[in-house]
Amino acid sequence: MIRRLVAKPEFGPLVLLIAELVVFWSINHDFLSPLNISNTLAFTVELGLIALAMTLLMTSGEFDLSVGSLFGFAPVLMWTLFNSGVTSLPTAFVIGLIVAGLIGLVNGVLVTHLKIPSFLVTLGMLLVVRGTALFVTSGFPQRTWIAGDHWLAQLLVGDFYVGPFRIYMSLFWFIVVVIILGYVLTETKFGNWIQASGGNANAARARGVNVERTKVALFVLSAMMAAFAGIISSIRTSAANPNSGTGYELEVIAMVVIGGTALTGGRGTIIGTVMGIFILRVMRNGIVLIGVPGLAYNIFIGAIILGMMALHSALERRHQSGT
Amino acid sequence: MLTKLRLFLAGLVLALAIPAAAQAKTYYWISHGGPADPVWTYFLAGAEQWAKDTGQTVKTSFHNGDVPSQQEAVRAAIAAKADAIVTTSPDPGSLVEVVKEARAANIPIINFNTPDPACDFNAYVGTDLHVVGAGWAQYLVDHKLVKEGDFVWMPVEVPGASYGVREEEGIATVFKPLNITWEVTDNTLDQAEVITRMSDYLTANRGKIKAIIGLGDLVTGSIQRVFDQVGVKPGEIPVVGWGNSRDTTQEVLNGYVNAAQWQDPQATSYLALSLAAMATDGIPPGFDIITGALYEKDTAEIYDKVLSGK
Repeated sequence: MIRRLVAKPEFGPLVLLIAELVVFWSINHDFLSPLNISNTLAFTVELGLIALAMTLLMTSGEFDLSVGSLFGFAPVLMWTLFNSGVTSLPTAFVIGLIVAGLIGLVNGVLVTHLKIPSFLVTLGMLLVVRGTALFVTSGFPQRTWIAGDHWLAQLLVGDFYVGPFRIYMSLFWFIVVVIILGYVLTETKFGNWIQASGGNANAARARGVNVERTKVALFVLSAMMAAFAGIISSIRTSAANPNSGTGYELEVIAMVVIGGTALTGGRGTIIGTVMGIFILRVMRNGIVLIGVPGLAYNIFIGAIILGMMALHSALERRHQSGT
Repeated sequence: MLTKLRLFLAGLVLALAIPAAAQAKTYYWISHGGPADPVWTYFLAGAEQWAKDTGQTVKTSFHNGDVPSQQEAVRAAIAAKADAIVTTSPDPGSLVEVVKEARAANIPIINFNTPDPACDFNAYVGTDLHVVGAGWAQYLVDHKLVKEGDFVWMPVEVPGASYGVREEEGIATVFKPLNITWEVTDNTLDQAEVITRMSDYLTANRGKIKAIIGLGDLVTGSIQRVFDQVGVKPGEIPVVGWGNSRDTTQEVLNGYVNAAQWQDPQATSYLALSLAAMATDGIPPGFDIITGALYEKDTAEIYDKVLSGK
């Protein structure tokens, strides 16, 4: 059984995560306090939602740099519609998701039909979406205070206590998405198509897989998940800033890769991504808790990421060689 | 008849348009800020209001802290024979050469937002960040919110940027003699990340933090959400900092922030352009205009109304 566990691609990230938890906890016992765990979970799952969809997209051999801008744009659109009295909050929420889905559709069509690399397409879309958010708002953040007791706000991001732990509903949505996407990737025909599209697209086509349609669907999913995460975050932080989500795309890609999904496509793991998400976010939290100097924060983050990637690579090589 | 009427209307339009075109001047408003930074939206609103009130043309641009880009924008304004330029300083001394070029071309160039004495600007409009920093520290000392040997936390969005550095220098003049120590922490310009990083730091250091000075608007405007996240009651830890956003005016009204600094962003832009206009008419501005005020709960309503647009 141990041998089977060690042979799994998720074993490396699991070792890293456990090592991280032990090191941070041994330096500062408050690291595993209910308050700190609650705080860490709040933002982690928001970024995590984007990473989960990105896992499927990267498994299919593509990636999406526009997710950070959609994270900022969708809530801006939703709150602009709602605050100006154009629609109700639930309608604005649905419109935000649909518009994000259409943006994902455009990404997908440009990549698959015009054969433009997803790096270039989604980089361009990042600028278009971010610029639109700024133009629509004239740079002003949209206020969201009035969402507090609305049933939709409670459903998406309401908080409650489980013993001493403050849990946000976003954790529930995260778990639901993990289960659904994990099942899709490993247990369904569509999951096979995703892996085949990323592994060898020509061979997949020869076997009847509609590679283009599969990828377009994943671009739509990725965009809608980024929008969903942005809306959740905007309600929790009571702010919808057109600048929100800047740089998230790179952090999300790092989470997916650390989790064991191949950057080149063909192989992906949702459980590994869950661990990648926690490895990166716990690290950011942990180095503050252990008291590194405030302005040295990025030095430690960068050094730890490099160290972890080196360790990850060593574990991966060991895994590949079967020892 | 119709032809005559058309000719008359065309003549009338020309008669009105020619003097108006002769009078209209072009001003360049150049900022090192970002268009999504809440406080810069108010600076921009002041410039747009001035253009509307005076009927002059104001061309605005943001440069996100990119010094070469801002230098290029000033040079473009000079090449376009601007009537006057108002600009911020992205980094101390970074505009020395371009200001010289503007002056050599007889184009008045006014500095606003952050002073830069190294450059030969015609005048400065804005707050004195050194004085603002010292004012926050003195407020905490005078109100007995900190004492000798205490520790103060100073979150900032962009460490090393002119505003935080100048403020910290001012704070140091008050805190150092009292042996009060402090730490500046990096919190980024992303709202969710700001809240997360500040919550983490507060969780880790809650016991030793005796006061907080928010060196920027975004961090000060996040205090309520951070306190609520970590379970700190309003007033439990004294807070002072910037107050140019509605988040902060609400925090002052609700007791989360003791005092906040109003920078008069709209007025700063408006006055800088007014000085520039005066200079183009041959009246040299031989003075600076210092803006700003530290407000508490009793006067926060005024600024809250300004920021809400009511």
